[in-house]
Amino acid sequence: MDVALFIPCYVDQLAPSVGLAALRVLEHVGCRVHYDPRQTCCGQPFINTGATREAARLARAHLALFEKADAVVCPSASCVSTVRHRYAELGLELGPDAQRLCARTFELGEFLVRELDRSELGSRFPHRVALLQSCHGLRELELGHPSERVYATRPEPGVTERLLRAVEGLELVWPERPDECCGFGGAFSVKFPEVSTRMGRDRVRALAATEAEYVTGSDVSCLLHLDGVARREGLGPRPIHLAEILASGLDG
Amino acid sequence: MSARDGVLARVRRAARHEVSHPGAFEPARMDSGWERFASTLHAVGGEPVGPVQSGDLSWALSELCADAGRVVMGPGVAQSLGPGPWEELPEGVSPQSLADVAVALLRGSIGVAENGAVALDGRHAPVRALPYLCERLILLLETSEIVPDMHQAIARMPPDATRFHHFYWISGPSKTADIEQTLVLGAHGPRSLAVVGIRDLQ
Amino acid sequence: MSELLDARAATLLPDGEPLRRHDAAVFDLRRRRDAAVAALPDFEALRTHAQAIKTHTLDYLDAYLERFESQAAAAGAVVHWAEDGAAHNDIVHGLLRERGVRRVVKSKSMLTEECGLNPYLEARDLEVVDTDLGERIVQLGQELPSHIVVPAVHRSRAEIGELFHVHMQTPSGESDPVRLTEYARRDLRPRFLAAEAGITGVNFAIAETGTIVVCTNEGNADLGMSLPPLHIASMGIEKVIPTLADLATFLRLLARSATGQPITAYTSLVTGPRAGGELHIVLVDNGRSRLLANSTHRSSLACIRCGACLNTCPVYRRAGGHAYGQAVAGPIGAVLAPALSSQAEGRRLPLASTLCGSCSAVCPVRIDLHGQLLAWRRTRAHAGAGERVLQRAAAVVLGRAALLRAAGALVRLCWPLLARRWPGNPLGVWLLGRQLPAHPGASFATRYRRLKGSKR
Ligand code: SF4
Repeated sequence: MDVALFIPCYVDQLAPSVGLAALRVLEHVGCRVHYDPRQTCCGQPFINTGATREAARLARAHLALFEKADAVVCPSASCVSTVRHRYAELGLELGPDAQRLCARTFELGEFLVRELDRSELGSRFPHRVALLQSCHGLRELELGHPSERVYATRPEPGVTERLLRAVEGLELVWPERPDECCGFGGAFSVKFPEVSTRMGRDRVRALAATEAEYVTGSDVSCLLHLDGVARREGLGPRPIHLAEILASGLDG
Repeated sequence: MSARDGVLARVRRAARHEVSHPGAFEPARMDSGWERFASTLHAVGGEPVGPVQSGDLSWALSELCADAGRVVMGPGVAQSLGPGPWEELPEGVSPQSLADVAVALLRGSIGVAENGAVALDGRHAPVRALPYLCERLILLLETSEIVPDMHQAIARMPPDATRFHHFYWISGPSKTADIEQTLVLGAHGPRSLAVVGIRDLQ
Repeated sequence: MSELLDARAATLLPDGEPLRRHDAAVFDLRRRRDAAVAALPDFEALRTHAQAIKTHTLDYLDAYLERFESQAAAAGAVVHWAEDGAAHNDIVHGLLRERGVRRVVKSKSMLTEECGLNPYLEARDLEVVDTDLGERIVQLGQELPSHIVVPAVHRSRAEIGELFHVHMQTPSGESDPVRLTEYARRDLRPRFLAAEAGITGVNFAIAETGTIVVCTNEGNADLGMSLPPLHIASMGIEKVIPTLADLATFLRLLARSATGQPITAYTSLVTGPRAGGELHIVLVDNGRSRLLANSTHRSSLACIRCGACLNTCPVYRRAGGHAYGQAVAGPIGAVLAPALSSQAEGRRLPLASTLCGSCSAVCPVRIDLHGQLLAWRRTRAHAGAGERVLQRAAAVVLGRAALLRAAGALVRLCWPLLARRWPGNPLGVWLLGRQLPAHPGASFATRYRRLKGSKR
């Protein structure tokens, strides 16, 4: 299967290893991965602050760049949610092709599980790992089961959990309040730094209490924020992105 | 233009007249037995009593009201009871004159299994403040009048229920958790609520 | 910079013990809600149903208001209309003055908070006593409620004990909630008995029957509307629902979402005045009809004020209600403020959220709260000229790969400098409670080129 790899601006610049891991995982499952170096930003930072004009310009460029793709895969849940759910609010008058592209933009984990039906990849990561369920991935992409929701029948584990459970040697643990927000929130983190770090500190403490060696998730931004708080507090597990865990121990 | 006309004119302009009413809700089936009602009532801080046979009611209530102080019973209770440590609610009294009532004994109607609420129809509490002024409230409830959920409970309200000024749903005693979320019973109204189930009230 | 939710502002919940206690107490309500709603297998369908009733009602609000008015009047109530908060206060004051009322007991009503009724009446020499225990506490402390359901949740038992000691001469050092509640009960009972008027809010108003519905746990509203001869009920025009049958849906949702109770202790349906008494109902617009005309934001009028969105909100729990500077705090407060608040501050509130979406996921009437916050951000009412220029520039850089990479290279070059705290560091705000991550090394694009280049 041909997939277009979307490495959002901040992953490209601040967490390149996550991009490499995603590439590795996709190639491992037999995808032909296309990466176009002209890609930049989906526009999330602008949508997040209501800068619609700027966001629309970036969104248009993004859609044009990936126009030919049958599926776009990205290791950042919030960027995926932006494309899938928020582009429609920008007044762009998306045609059927663009709408299809938005719908076929996937977070790495959901692409593997939902599109390829692959959760066992042969990864090996012999560590105690806590899961940070990032909000956009959880509530907008439904990569897990939000604690707010009532399910008539018990659902099967979420996408991220299924992938982690299939990793050899990995011991999955959950922090208390398993889906409380870490406090990043894009512009929020710098507009309200005090409250943002209060939230981050509480998450870091809850994660530290799990005695996990690593904390993982499907959104790089949350992990960077938590990493920043954890370093300042001198506490808590080390952040590692889902893609990096999945890429561990793959042969060849 | 009056405030009324101004507000209504703006609302009329803004109202779209598009989406129709969704109709009745089909609730999931739930149990409506006394057991379930009683356990819910217990969970909300109330005391389920019984159910008792109507013949034993007088005796059961005497037990509940023993040494309580002033006990007042409302309409619809008296005929099922003999003499006891209670007085009938006098007619035409001011609510203030009931400020010292220790126990109010009133006839409830519909009971709701999902939330422990009992309906108190205005006709059975002609002095509106009585069930709130008393220290302890005792409601009588026929067990056959228990329904599973609030939808059925409201459907059971007598058609003229809203013509009698007030109609209460009461679930447990007065309570507050305004101080550090510590639950305290008896914030303003009754400190305790008992619901006496009756199997065959006449 | 505005002081909303700002560390420098006195309104932000203090760090340490008060913060820990507030977060725990409020999150406990969320947990209780979870347990209560999990017991309803049809809970999600019930939310959808409630939303549908509200959508329909707002679509036909004119008709339902008129129906409510005529039914309430037929039952003997007097219905008044108020364009805004000032008009509402004026109507209430007029009713009290005409009857020579001096002492008023009031139960919880977010609408009267919104209108600032208490200070208005107090300035006119009326004694207004808030009778909900939480409201009484904030009244004694001369502050706004910090939560719509538990107004004094920001206060510790010791602080409340101290307030009672000062204002009600209770023993100094008393902090036991049971005893404090008992003192308040004893203090308030004679005030209920002596009051000449009772003011209450309205949770639901039933168009079909002209009935108002008041939900409380303490029973204070009931004493307030059944002891004095005059009962004034204040309600926003959005409180009306079509039928008695619809009430069941909302009653099943309200208390479960608020505190995890299956229903409030008291749900009182009042139709017309009691024998020998008067009932006046004041219908207040105060910006609501304008909101109704706003197709993006009208759904926020569906709110039933359960407080669930506050309880789940991680920002609210860490900031405290006073940090929002509004009568209604939390997500719904931030959604309503730009439309209903007179203060300019209110326009910045939609930024005070991480958009985690937990509020939307708990809301019993399915208001897309975080979507609403985002929509308010799109109005750009919060952004100053400087910010707009910066964003335009940022969009240019982020829009071109070459510029992005050049900027990235510059940042990586300056990394050690940016990672340190010094005055003027452009990343200073980030560094307030955080550090920068380890130096990321070359960008993904560069590494990709190396990787694929070497394979070729
Ligand atoms: S917005 Fe929804 S969750 Fe928040 S108070 Fe209103 S009804 Fe409750």
